[in-house]
Amino acid sequence: MNLSQIVQDLGFLTPEILLTGLILLAIIYDLFLTKETSIRTGYLAIAGMAIVLFSLFAQNVEASQGLFNQMVAYDGYARYFKIIITLATILVMWMSFQNDELKNRTIGEYYQLMLVLVFGMFFLVSATNMLSIYLSLEIVSIMSYLLAGYLKENLRSNESAIKYVVFGGVSSGIMLYGISLIYGLTGSLNIYEIQASLAANAAISPALLMLAFVLVFVGFGYKIAAVPFHFWTPDVYEGAPATITAFLSVAPKAAGFAVLLRFLNTTLTLSGDPNNIALESLSNLDWPTLLAGVSAITMTVGNVVALQQTNIKRMLAYSSIAHAGYMLMGVVVMHHNGVSAILYYAGIYTLMNLGAFFVAIYIKNAFNTETISDYTGLGYKAPMIGIAMAVFMFSLTGLPPTGGFVAKFYLFRGLVGVGDTFIWLAIVGLINGVVSLYYYLRVLYFMYFKEMNFPDVYHRAPLQFNILIVIIIIPLLFGWMIGDPLSTWTASATSFFVP
Amino acid sequence: MGYIESYLALSAILFVLGLYTVSTRRNAVAILMGVELILNAANINFIAFSKFVTHSLDGHVVTIFVVMLAAAEAAVALAIVLNMYNNTGHINVDEANSLKQ
Amino acid sequence: MITVALLILLLPLLSFAIQIFFRKFIESKNGEWISIGIQLTTLGLAFYLFAVMIGHYDPHFRIEENVTWFNLGNFSLEMGILIDNISVIMLLVVALISSLVHIYSTEYMKGDIRFSRYYGFLGIFTFSMNGIVLANNFFMIYVFWELVGLSSYLLIGHWWEKNSAADASKKAFITNRVGDIGMFMGLMIIMTVLGTLNYQGVYTGIASGEWEGGIGTLFGGANPHTLLTWAGILLFMGAVGKSAQFPLHIWLPDAMEGPTPVSALIHAATMVAAGVYLTVRIFPILTPDAMATVAFIGGVTAFYAATIAITQNDIKKVLAYSTVSQLGYMIMALGTGAYVAGFFHLITHAMFKAGLFLASGSVIHAMHHALHDIKDHDTDAQDMRNMGGLKSKMPYTYLIFIVASLSISGIPFFSGFLSKDAILAGSWAYASTAHEGWLASMHMAWILPFFGFGAAVITAFYMFRLIFMTFFGESKRPDIFEKMHESPKAMTVPLMILAALSLFFFYTIPSINPFSTHGWFSHVIENPGTVVNFGSTFNLEHFEHANHEAHMPAMILSLIVATLGIGFATLVYLLKKVSAESLASKLGVLYKGSFNKWYMDEFYINGIIRPFLKGCDAVALFDMEYYDHYLINGAGRNTKKVSSGVGVADDLIVDGAVNFSGYIFQWLGWSLKFIQTGRIQNYLIFALIGVVAVFLLNAF
Repeated sequence: MNLSQIVQDLGFLTPEILLTGLILLAIIYDLFLTKETSIRTGYLAIAGMAIVLFSLFAQNVEASQGLFNQMVAYDGYARYFKIIITLATILVMWMSFQNDELKNRTIGEYYQLMLVLVFGMFFLVSATNMLSIYLSLEIVSIMSYLLAGYLKENLRSNESAIKYVVFGGVSSGIMLYGISLIYGLTGSLNIYEIQASLAANAAISPALLMLAFVLVFVGFGYKIAAVPFHFWTPDVYEGAPATITAFLSVAPKAAGFAVLLRFLNTTLTLSGDPNNIALESLSNLDWPTLLAGVSAITMTVGNVVALQQTNIKRMLAYSSIAHAGYMLMGVVVMHHNGVSAILYYAGIYTLMNLGAFFVAIYIKNAFNTETISDYTGLGYKAPMIGIAMAVFMFSLTGLPPTGGFVAKFYLFRGLVGVGDTFIWLAIVGLINGVVSLYYYLRVLYFMYFKEMNFPDVYHRAPLQFNILIVIIIIPLLFGWMIGDPLSTWTASATSFFVP
Repeated sequence: MGYIESYLALSAILFVLGLYTVSTRRNAVAILMGVELILNAANINFIAFSKFVTHSLDGHVVTIFVVMLAAAEAAVALAIVLNMYNNTGHINVDEANSLKQ
Repeated sequence: MITVALLILLLPLLSFAIQIFFRKFIESKNGEWISIGIQLTTLGLAFYLFAVMIGHYDPHFRIEENVTWFNLGNFSLEMGILIDNISVIMLLVVALISSLVHIYSTEYMKGDIRFSRYYGFLGIFTFSMNGIVLANNFFMIYVFWELVGLSSYLLIGHWWEKNSAADASKKAFITNRVGDIGMFMGLMIIMTVLGTLNYQGVYTGIASGEWEGGIGTLFGGANPHTLLTWAGILLFMGAVGKSAQFPLHIWLPDAMEGPTPVSALIHAATMVAAGVYLTVRIFPILTPDAMATVAFIGGVTAFYAATIAITQNDIKKVLAYSTVSQLGYMIMALGTGAYVAGFFHLITHAMFKAGLFLASGSVIHAMHHALHDIKDHDTDAQDMRNMGGLKSKMPYTYLIFIVASLSISGIPFFSGFLSKDAILAGSWAYASTAHEGWLASMHMAWILPFFGFGAAVITAFYMFRLIFMTFFGESKRPDIFEKMHESPKAMTVPLMILAALSLFFFYTIPSINPFSTHGWFSHVIENPGTVVNFGSTFNLEHFEHANHEAHMPAMILSLIVATLGIGFATLVYLLKKVSAESLASKLGVLYKGSFNKWYMDEFYINGIIRPFLKGCDAVALFDMEYYDHYLINGAGRNTKKVSSGVGVADDLIVDGAVNFSGYIFQWLGWSLKFIQTGRIQNYLIFALIGVVAVFLLNAF
């Protein structure tokens, strides 16, 4: 590892370097702005993210690379998640302009913090060393705490931040302890070397290995909000600024899945090569069964508690827990199909969940309510909002003809495809699908069927909001149809870096 | 100099004490101190393993990074706690329970 | 041809778009005629396809076109259109009935507050139904299947203001989803084993023995077809939901809350037939055990629903249970291997049952207007006890009722005779020849003809009970009777067309013998046989032979039972030689005496369900307005119903089970909710307990 090697590796980090430049520029630019004009930082951030997105597309990931002594990887898999994260960021920033909670305050830091959060996620999805995993996870977490508590004078926002920081701090602390045990067991922090050591040394006590794994999984589980590490989710989601809630429910969750999947499929498999079509777990650590259990419990808890919710943000929070459970189904199959199903699901989920949150935010702004039963007749008062919500709810439920349906289909297909080991999980998943039908359609019931009358004057949403929603809806409704570009894309994105 | 077991025992004790602190103390600052205990338990592990098992510098490097990160995390957490004090006049996390169910 | 089929598929969608998006511009200007025009165009196109098909006059006529829908790595799904004799005939039926319903509705729905929405939803329904018919693979059928479910949901709930209508639509949707879960799992199994969902691909895959190798033999042990049996039964579950078969039939009677033309289109002729259509498509891959299951479910439904229809007083409820029963016939026919008969009955039934529903709509329409005229808003316009003697007031409706009832009862010269007779002969033949399948191995195969003939006699009875109560005798409410008059032309003309199509010669041409079994229909539709490699006694030729043998005795017997049923109805309801009330009380004893099964039901109700519902009442304290209303249906309401008769037992047991699961999830959610205390340290402790539990469970 010499200087010229470092310089050479930097060449693969164009998006990250651009992002760093953007962060610095945003901080400096914000110094020249007043409270009223601080919104311009947001415009700058969106423009910058667009450039980052462009540079991501320009990357050639045919030949994957391990950078900086294999601290991070440069591969198609990471690039896919970076693109999802960037898109989600742009959408959320766009929506933030219209979030009334953020009006009339200095807003520059908000966008700066989001950019740093994105920076952390970029490294998280490509991290291949326990140290870089931990560091990037912490960057993401710390920025999330700040953003959750961004409304300083708002007690609820404050409360959500303090809960987040306590839960997050403890979880990552436990994870670090787990990492230290793995370090002691294998003598390395590099995930490939850890794998080699574990595979070569089958004598390690299963209990000890399981202990280390469970402790590490606490950190991942907290990031993807899997039961029993989900407790912070509803409270933080309800209290945080709504746009941040939307962001937290998609981007860090997708990043968490990215790193979890890479870690599991590389480190805890016999071959250590996640590019294999089918994988086998280490003989002395049966993590697929563990995660199958976590998946079943997560989706069940998320769904049944969501049934009871009256607040739309809280309902969506629990629904996002349930979706984490669905996505875990793709992890346990240990098959190429499972990986691509997760990639697909992550993309679709990002769109549909953001969409649902955006509509909820808009309704909060325009009609000043977050309670689902107050949505009565909204479908007629504001037709555009109603149709959009219907599409998102259908997609979240997984009904055709939406992208949510196809995404779920891939997950189930992957699960059933590996034989009868996890048929029970598929059945649990299907039953959960029916349960979720109740609470998603409940929203539509209030919007359309509770009270049926056409008002004389329709509520019209502002143009830029409508454009935003249409941008999200179109891929959900049509993106999966003829040719299904997203699935060809995900199929090509399942290439991991292996030394 | 000594055996690895004594270091590991120390770190395990610290870890449990940290968990005990975060789950019982009501004072937000005390909880943050508990988090520090957990992190330092891990740090001791890293250094012990570095010295006795791997004979490399990796563990030391991790420790330095963790110390730095812990400082950053503490700074952010204390800012949030301070803000809570400004808003409510106390730092008792038990009373921050308006968001539930 | 493919273009024509695509037009048939997509034109109704255009109608939907116009009605929904240009509502403002067309609502006040007879905008419904746009939809009618579009629908008539598709009818013309369907006729064209039909003519082409008849031109070929070939049982193996088929045109198939495929495009890749989406692919993921090595896996791809295709979307395509299949035109064969079955789909062409189905298309024609759907287009015809849909057109007639469109026209009929101009009068029936006149002045409705959501008139153009109604036409829009008819359009999207027709679109999805055509999608089911034209699909060439199981995945596509599943997608349109869900769309049909959705549009039916919208149409049943057309009058949302009525709570019962909103309840019914919800119930239909959710009950159907239960069946769909099974169907989806079946799809998954087939996809996993064979890697394709295309009909032909699946058939050839199984025929070439692909199933017997690899994962196809999972769960099977020695029998390589166990998984295939399950795949067949699971796929059939979709049909159980959609075609309202026992035990998922509960939604169909409730669905009568929708407008009557909708009942005629969806809940008599087309959507409920989709389940039968699916069974037709999976017919070749059914194993003997799966077929026995299909036949048994169909037989039970046919008989069970018929017994309920006897006691109903709501004119549409009688027809609803009758529909369930007739659908059971079709399913039973397919299960017994009488493929042609099952599909034939689907077509004939579509005609006469749509006719019956539209005719009942005509009566209800007249009743509504009469009640409106005398300013009576409390009387139930659908209750037959308020009718009587309408023969003189509504001669056309009466005539049509007579024709359609004769047809459904299986009287010669009418279409129902031909198809029903074939089904009964098929069940007879199955019972006498079947060696494979659990029904035969348990020596229960004769239960099928028993169900069949039993249901036939009851059908004849309750149909004529309906006619005598409605059209004969003295009117029970002279004040209403005074104001009754025949419905307008737009309603009676479609009725006449449907009645005419209940005559035999439309189906027996070129033969004009009313007893003929060799018309164009039985020429173009051919039993495809099975593709499963049994290598044993299950033999189609054997069955065909027995079918031929059974034909004559079955025909004579079915004539006798039909006459019996009609005669008995005449005695009780027309000549009043036997008092219906005393008969009911005597039969009640007979029922209890002969069928101990009903004691079992009482036991379920009083011993299990009622206490459980009481317990649930306590849980329901923290109510959610919506669930109380829509999911759970009100435990109190059900409890009240308990002691009031036969049909209600059905409501309670099956609904109870549905409600039961609803409660469980509610309760689970409610109790889990309390873990979320709002105190961060409780969360930490719960999470730590979780970590320890996960560790202990997995490490040791």
